[in-house]
Amino acid sequence: MLSQKPYWFVAFILIILFVLPGIIPRFYTYILAIIFVTSLLVMSLNMVVGHGGLFQFHHGAFYGVGAYTFALFFTKTPLPVWIAFVAGPVFAAIAGMIIGMFCVRLTRLYFGMLQISLGSLLWALAFRWYSLTGGDDGIHGIVMPSFISSLNNAYYFILILTILGIIVMYLIFKSPFGATLQAIRDNPERCEAIGINVRRHQLIAIIIATFFAGLAGVLFVVLEGSVFPDLLFWVFSLEIFIMCLLGGWFTFAGPIIGAAVMVSLRTFVGIYTEYWTLILGVILILLIFFLPEGLWGYLMEKLGEHPKQSQKGGN
Amino acid sequence: MEIGYSLTIAALSSQFLVGLSRAMILFIVSAGMSFVLGVLRVPNVAHGSLYMIGAFSAFSISVLLGAGSAGFWLALILAPLVVAFVSFIAERSLFCHLYEREHLMLLLFTFALMLILDDLVKIVWGADYRSIIAPEIFRGSVPIFGTPFPRYNLFLLIVGPLVGIGLWWFSNKTKIGKIARAAAVDREMVGAIGINVSWVFAFAFILGCFLAGLGGALVSPTVSIKLGMDHDIIMEAFLIVTIGGLGNMWGALLGSLIFGITQSFGVLFWPQFAIVFPYVAVAIILTWWPKGMLKSVW
Amino acid sequence: MLHLENVYKSFDNFVAVNGANLAVKKGELVAVIGPNGAGKTTIFNLITGQLKPDNGRVVFKDEDINKLSAYQICRRGIARSFQIANIFPRLTVFKNVQVSVLSQEGKSTTLFYPAKKIAVEKTNSILESVGLADKAHYPAASLAHGDQRVLEIAIALGNKPELLILDEPTAGMSADETSATMKLIKKLTESQGLTILFCEHDMEVVFNVAQSIMVMHQGETIIQGSPEEVRNSKDVQECYLGVG
Repeated sequence: MLSQKPYWFVAFILIILFVLPGIIPRFYTYILAIIFVTSLLVMSLNMVVGHGGLFQFHHGAFYGVGAYTFALFFTKTPLPVWIAFVAGPVFAAIAGMIIGMFCVRLTRLYFGMLQISLGSLLWALAFRWYSLTGGDDGIHGIVMPSFISSLNNAYYFILILTILGIIVMYLIFKSPFGATLQAIRDNPERCEAIGINVRRHQLIAIIIATFFAGLAGVLFVVLEGSVFPDLLFWVFSLEIFIMCLLGGWFTFAGPIIGAAVMVSLRTFVGIYTEYWTLILGVILILLIFFLPEGLWGYLMEKLGEHPKQSQKGGN
Repeated sequence: MEIGYSLTIAALSSQFLVGLSRAMILFIVSAGMSFVLGVLRVPNVAHGSLYMIGAFSAFSISVLLGAGSAGFWLALILAPLVVAFVSFIAERSLFCHLYEREHLMLLLFTFALMLILDDLVKIVWGADYRSIIAPEIFRGSVPIFGTPFPRYNLFLLIVGPLVGIGLWWFSNKTKIGKIARAAAVDREMVGAIGINVSWVFAFAFILGCFLAGLGGALVSPTVSIKLGMDHDIIMEAFLIVTIGGLGNMWGALLGSLIFGITQSFGVLFWPQFAIVFPYVAVAIILTWWPKGMLKSVW
Repeated sequence: MLHLENVYKSFDNFVAVNGANLAVKKGELVAVIGPNGAGKTTIFNLITGQLKPDNGRVVFKDEDINKLSAYQICRRGIARSFQIANIFPRLTVFKNVQVSVLSQEGKSTTLFYPAKKIAVEKTNSILESVGLADKAHYPAASLAHGDQRVLEIAIALGNKPELLILDEPTAGMSADETSATMKLIKKLTESQGLTILFCEHDMEVVFNVAQSIMVMHQGETIIQGSPEEVRNSKDVQECYLGVG
């Protein structure tokens, strides 16, 4: 069934994605690129939430750090662009590590609330430091180097980096570290009792996840050519969280689905009504009541792949 | 970077009082959030939206009743009730079915509620800014320490402690209050002695939301009533509750004082980054007391 | 190998452990018994680091382990199973044990090598020795209660411990499962030279299997000795009959 690695299926999708920009209107290419960036971001969140069990409520802060770092290095320093590319994820990971070190001292809800607090500090800085970050206007009209300045080139660049990012995350998911992380998610106390330094593992997971969030932030700037404080605002972070849930947070690929569905919905619903927020709220309520395992998780369960947590009892 | 105006004792004291009166509003709102957090163990993300509805409702009610001072007082009483009613509907129709589920689901529900309420406010009141003018006796200012201090802020300085005392009396001296406190500490025990825990939760939630609405109504004459005022207050309430100790009313008071005063002094010293001051204070406090300064209820 | 000296622990004025003493020799099978609330699980938590003693010493292989955190204590060679099935519900049975083995081998932070190629034989051999090999790919949450308790033990074994602590290993098991589990425990002591410390309510089990028994009552150690000594001790009879 689906556990036989569906390489042919994935390859098929990839081929389509590579060919599409030549065929579809610019607008759809743009939407797809946004979906890729968002997928990378949501996948990185899932690494700590779905696989690690942490309440990472302000992941967007690291996305924003990556985006701003890239934008600032690129526009305000004479350094070559590839340094800016690397600086984005690295600075995001550093921010992740620092904030993470505060947060892993706490569990569950406290972790999330502290992260929102500290992440909001970053937001406040971005929002107010007009001379550096452009304040609430942000920085606009950044012109990308020529190899990615056209939409199609940007599309391919983003697609390739997203694929690479996801491959790396998959390798980590399947590694001993990934297995240990999932065990920590399921039962941190038991992990302590088998000799695992839970905090260290959680911190490592956070650093990796925020690195990729920063990468997603860089890709965002590549696509949009601008950066603004809303990326660091906690409401956006909760939206990313919802995408993670929508897709299915105990699965590997679920978040991609979540991102794709949300971005598409937001774009197309936005054409008809300005009340997207209301609809988002309703979607979330439906999810909570009817699909707590997410879309992909629900499918996986139906196909017999994943155990539901509440399933207990004799065989 | 400019340092405000001259740092006289007068300026400092006056700014201190401003911060204090702001802290009163923060306290009322945070106390509500803390109460819900203590009993249900879930931070109510929609708390800010309910505050916003309180402000908008106060506006509508006072306009409806002729924008005079009677209108204002009635708005002050009725707006929180409107908010309580809204929360009652949300709670009984949807929220209460989630009490058996994981906490994360409850939190997400409150987030969904926030999203829905935000747009509902947009639908009902539109996107324009509104404002209320306080009744006659509160207009103008009183000279304190040589600088003019708004009379309405004096009113807040009186109402704040009154609400605090009311809450304290309620939690410690009434039967319902004591049951709610017990449920915060050990809900299973409360259930085991025959009390319907679901109703306790409903009650706590509605009371918390009532306080949010009260805060919104009280703040309405001093700020422009607009969409997005919920985002600011919810962040502040979150932080206050976190540094104060989850579920702890005194913690909410302490946190509000710290927050209000650091913010107003921030305005004095470094206006551009005034909003950063409270966040920095929070970061420092949480480094030493990761679980908040006072004991959390659980 | 392990001994507790006058260990004392209280919670908010409730004294859970009041001067307990315990001595476990290498290769021994030691049982702790006592009525409910005597403090048995608390003692175990004090040994493995989930709790820290207020007073007294916990010494393992001549080292004071009072102040170490739980994972550090585990790395010194002590593993435990819990009274309530404390497994990883969403992972498969195989993964449950594998995680433990990976931790013991120090490979839990390996990032870029597929987990399914590491520690496979060790994990399989543990699963075989406890009799769960045929259920290796079932999600742990779907196992029957008795099997979950066995999985508990398997996870603890993954750590290749020198001292294995089992908290009521046969709780909730049927008579057949109980005797199978006790046979397993005996086999582990003999074949792998494991030192085992366990606590139990089932007296028949204890007296048949244990080489040394420590009796607790209201947080204190009444006596520790061979099954004969304990059976004949007046103190034990008093406290058990007196308690009723």
